[in-house]
Amino acid sequence: MRFVVGLPDSMLAGVYVAAEKDPDIRYVAVTNEAEGASVAAGTWITGGRSVLVMENSGLRAACEALARLGLVNGVPVTMLMGYRGDLGERFHWGVNHGMTMEPILKALRIPYWIIDREEQIVPAIGRAVVHGISSLYHTAVVFRTPLVDEGK
Amino acid sequence: MKRYELLKQLARLVTAEDLVVTSIGGVKPEWYSLMPSNGTMFADLLGCATPFALGVALNLPHRRVVALDTDGGVLFNLGALCTVGKELPPNLTIIVLDNERYEGVVGGPPTHTSGRVDLERIAEGSGIPCTATVREIENFFESATKMLSDGQVGLLVAKIEPGLFKDIPPERAKESDGIEDKYRFMRHIEKLEKISIRPRYALE
Repeated sequence: MRFVVGLPDSMLAGVYVAAEKDPDIRYVAVTNEAEGASVAAGTWITGGRSVLVMENSGLRAACEALARLGLVNGVPVTMLMGYRGDLGERFHWGVNHGMTMEPILKALRIPYWIIDREEQIVPAIGRAVVHGISSLYHTAVVFRTPLVDEGK
Repeated sequence: MKRYELLKQLARLVTAEDLVVTSIGGVKPEWYSLMPSNGTMFADLLGCATPFALGVALNLPHRRVVALDTDGGVLFNLGALCTVGKELPPNLTIIVLDNERYEGVVGGPPTHTSGRVDLERIAEGSGIPCTATVREIENFFESATKMLSDGQVGLLVAKIEPGLFKDIPPERAKESDGIEDKYRFMRHIEKLEKISIRPRYALE
């Protein structure tokens, strides 16, 4: 089975709606990203294919779960997230998301791609999923403008 | 009711076709000593057992899945009960081993369930249709038997005495780490389901 596990956010708002409508995908809405990482890991280790979709602030909420699942058990979670706090951020509350995202990804040794063109989406997600299988470790794809709606 | 006695009763109910996900804590060595098969995922994260088991149950809806969680673990991530209540996987049973304390911490400080917090009522309010709280081993066996066979998601709070079982035979002692536990569980699923989870070469 294929799963999208997510905590809805504005930047990827359309993704959650599309996942919920897609008959080939089981969409699981969670209450926080740490819980989402655990749900995604449970589907993955039993043969499902799953991604965790969230705002990049969710990375902070999921840190402990990701550290334990990845470093202690070696069960991968592939994450897809919008780049809130990228250069040009309009909202003061979003700036900090950008400041902490890459340092956290690096601290957790999570390989990631930051993409901004439509033709990069499918190959980037494909490579992140494949790398999760081969490394048994987390991977991430980060979407920056103009791929995501930053809001006005 | 002692945890080890409870787990012995549970081991009578869990078959080789079932899957179990445990929380961290004393439950790990005790359950392993009683059920050293590869059908258990020993997850190493507080608050992870129930959502991890939810993922397992959703992906393998034809298998019974048991989450062996704890009061500390459930309190760590109460939102997971709401997600279980929303998804309603009929093949999932959550057993909360509630000793009302953080037993692994020096001094065993109390958790909130030692006071007025009632995990069964929280589960009920989260939309989980089948809930119960038991304090005696006979009641545990009866409730667990029902929940594992009623075809709906359930949460059973088992109030247990604090304390680790000290007499695990050396040949039944759990010595594996989280990585070995993961591989054993994953390879077990591959055989059970006749699938390849981690092929030698991953292809796009």
